[in-house]
Amino acid sequence: MHNYKYLFALLFSALMMENVSAQTADISPERKQAIDSLALEKVRDLSKYISIIGNKKTPFSEATRVMDRAEELFAPDSEMGVSSLNRKEISYYKVRKYFERLMALNYDRVTISWYDIHYISDLERQPDGRYVGVVTIYQKFEGTSDDGMKYKDTTKKDITIYVERKKTQIQGRIIEFWDVMLGDIRVSETSA
Amino acid sequence: MRSINLLYVFVTILLSCPLRAQLLDKDDESKLYAETKQVNQFFRRFNGEEDEKGERYYPKDKQYRSDKLRKKYIGILFDASNSGISPDLKTQFVKDVLDKTEPAILNFHGGNWFSEVHTTFTMNGKSEPVTLFMELEKDHQGTKWVISKVHADMFTPYFKRDTTRVGKFLHPLSHELDFMNLRKAFNYTDSLSQFTVKRFVPDHLTVFLYEVKKGNLKFKTVEEVKFHFFQINGWYFELSEFNRSGYNTGWLISNLVKVNNDAEKNLLRKYLYYESK
Repeated sequence: MHNYKYLFALLFSALMMENVSAQTADISPERKQAIDSLALEKVRDLSKYISIIGNKKTPFSEATRVMDRAEELFAPDSEMGVSSLNRKEISYYKVRKYFERLMALNYDRVTISWYDIHYISDLERQPDGRYVGVVTIYQKFEGTSDDGMKYKDTTKKDITIYVERKKTQIQGRIIEFWDVMLGDIRVSETSA
Repeated sequence: MRSINLLYVFVTILLSCPLRAQLLDKDDESKLYAETKQVNQFFRRFNGEEDEKGERYYPKDKQYRSDKLRKKYIGILFDASNSGISPDLKTQFVKDVLDKTEPAILNFHGGNWFSEVHTTFTMNGKSEPVTLFMELEKDHQGTKWVISKVHADMFTPYFKRDTTRVGKFLHPLSHELDFMNLRKAFNYTDSLSQFTVKRFVPDHLTVFLYEVKKGNLKFKTVEEVKFHFFQINGWYFELSEFNRSGYNTGWLISNLVKVNNDAEKNLLRKYLYYESK
């Protein structure tokens, strides 16, 4: 089901194909909007997965399954770079490790919510021809222990998105589509 | 008057937030909307290329780069807590940028801007600050950030040279003796720089690459990032990130200097690059 959703989105973006050829540097506003929607869809899925993984009520087996799903959203070798207001130094984690740390946090109750704000950058072309962009979202975290200890923070997440034109064969026809993968994420605590 | 304008912009941004029932603080949310969240957003706000919610305008849109929109945004793109940038200087800058006949637009691929990245490396196990200067370079089908210069205080003592004293030298007839006195020169490792040509400019990037390659210098973390812009004719400004509470946050202009000619511009560049020559 999960994969069908993206396939549908990809085909939708393929249908939205405009006159711009793969060699042309610029992406039309219409194409950009279609790519933004796809990127946001993946970012929303990631947000949902993070909330499930962080939730103390999620059984271990379910959290593991969700971690697998979440990992599939990312390009290989993606990392999370985490810093806080007190500690400017960035700590680097592989995506899987980040999720595992989130799951193992020592609170009895964890609430993760998301601000209904996102900012999507323009897309820039890399030397290898793929496009890259950054989506910014904000997360609110609240952890409570049974002894009443409470921890709260708001983090800004700057998420790299890689946009690539790919080809697939459906019923003998070659269909070109734009695919979006998530990449490195910079997680910084904000004073908001 | 200025604070009324700022308030107006913030209220506009606040009112533009979609009305949705949610648990999170509306006040916090409006602050996040006001924040210049990415350098990309700084470009777009500066150029008047997006609405209050961050949705992009394109050339076919009426509001795209409109004078009115740009005037509204430019005021909020300064670090309001910095009294070092006088209101007169800001006014003059805004007037130049919004010039009716030749408005100034920032161009991501236009060159004349670079990043200063403060990092920490470990040199043989000891933490050392290293500043990387980065710029965008075209490559194959796109662009990439590349290191153009490096400055590290730890390298500086190796290049120190006192030019006021006569000091040590290889006398002008050394060549007649097959430079046999080089042996003595290289005994003075502390003052080796005295034997180099006056026009020699130490290049920290070369030393940096060598030390990394040798495995002596290892990357640890990025501490701070800022940007220097020379794209606006007659002006230099610095862009820094302000992570604080309130509405005046994110990527903001933290320094503004009027540069009257190329000589002043070059002097400023050298200063930024820690260069003395």
